Amino acid sequence: MIRIKQALFLIFGITSFIIFYIGFLNFLTTQDNEMGLIILIFSGIVSSGTFFATFYIANHLTKPIESLAKRMKEFSENNFISKNSLDDKGISELTALHKNFEDMAQKVGNTLEKEKQLNLKLKEMDKRKTEFMSMISHELKTPIMPIMGYIQLLKKQELMGNLNEKQLDALNEISIASEKLQKLIQDVLMAQKIDLGKLSINKEIVDSKDLLEKTFKAFNPICESKNIDLKMSLGQTSSVYSDSDRISQIFSNLISNAMSFVPKQKGIIELGTKDDNEHITFFVRDNGVGIAKEQQKNIFKKFYQVDTSSTRKKEGSGLGLTICEGIVKTLGGKIWLKSSENKGTTFFFNLPKAKIQVDKIHP
Amino acid sequence: MKKMSKTISKSTKQKSRLSVLIVDDNEQITKLISSFLDYSNHDCTVVNDGKEGLELIKTNQYDSIVLDLAMPECDGHQIIKTLQKDDPDQLKKITILTASNINDDAVKKFKELGISGCLQKPVDIDQLLSNITKASS
Repeated sequence: MIRIKQALFLIFGITSFIIFYIGFLNFLTTQDNEMGLIILIFSGIVSSGTFFATFYIANHLTKPIESLAKRMKEFSENNFISKNSLDDKGISELTALHKNFEDMAQKVGNTLEKEKQLNLKLKEMDKRKTEFMSMISHELKTPIMPIMGYIQLLKKQELMGNLNEKQLDALNEISIASEKLQKLIQDVLMAQKIDLGKLSINKEIVDSKDLLEKTFKAFNPICESKNIDLKMSLGQTSSVYSDSDRISQIFSNLISNAMSFVPKQKGIIELGTKDDNEHITFFVRDNGVGIAKEQQKNIFKKFYQVDTSSTRKKEGSGLGLTICEGIVKTLGGKIWLKSSENKGTTFFFNLPKAKIQVDKIHP
Repeated sequence: MKKMSKTISKSTKQKSRLSVLIVDDNEQITKLISSFLDYSNHDCTVVNDGKEGLELIKTNQYDSIVLDLAMPECDGHQIIKTLQKDDPDQLKKITILTASNINDDAVKKFKELGISGCLQKPVDIDQLLSNITKASS
């Protein structure tokens, strides 16, 4: 690396030396002594003038550049620069450069500052939203208790007296709606817990085959009632150190999802596992409408629902997959999907096989 | 003897009236539970205030107590704390019924104190009744 000062002195120093040397040579070799002397003096003046000019320029050139570099560093560190400390007497282009940089830095700095404020505000708002949601869902739980309780009570006709068919039908409708509401509240609360990182996990040794069989048994009746063929393909059995209740929750969400997308006739849902060295992968496959490529990347986003207006309106909170993703991540795994339109969708999630599980079996 | 009669009452879901105290500031919820208990032939005392609830627990003998956690002034936690000091035998009669989120650690802590059960609102009323019965034995 070479500094401007050094470069200038090198160039102009050599130049002035050459000028003086030529003058000196001329003085030695010329016949006309007077002329030789004039040339010698002249070359001496020129070379020393060059020397001083170089000194001057070097100083005025490097100082502002050095100061500019310093201020740039200052700006990159703090997003802010202190007020101008440079006088206007220097080289005008550099002064302009300085000034322009200052203007730019101030503008950028202001924008960044505003952005920072905005970011803080957004964070604050997000926090308040989370608090609000959790307050609301909490407040919703209280009134839903008497609603569901009285529905249950009314259904106990031996205690409450007989209802006629119309009344029972109406009661059933209320019952279904309140259960949906209840599920929605639960979903919102669950999503909140995940958001706040407060999801509680109870790890134990979970056997993949047991888990899959339990899930199958739990969902087979409802699938049968909806004419959906629920299948199970057991891969190699292995165990993970994880939370079986949470895994069941994932399955429950994925299967409920699949149930609302399979065709009304010949709907098929398949549960299964796959195994590699480090992970065990569970999957839920359906032969439903599938999910378009451009919608796949949004599918785990909160409140996102695949638009199926052309086929069937889907009901739900739009939180199911967000919750699945949150749980899988909390359990240290990954969730993804493969889908092609009109052929079906497969959701996969994997969980790490824990190797340190041995010492945790007998706590 | 008492235990035996309870087992019978559980299996036949009849007779052996329990006297149950319900402490919850929400009147609709206390009404729901007391109606259900009433129809199921149990005696029920309702109180919508924590302080009064605590007084009643101290002065009367109930078979089972349903306790809400979040209440103004004297909340369920306070009641539990006081009973823990003054009359720990009462704790095993308590079934907590709350809308608040209670994590597993909290449930564990309540269990360690001897509290019979911990239920989240909204609760299945049959489950509540079976908890109430369990807490009375």
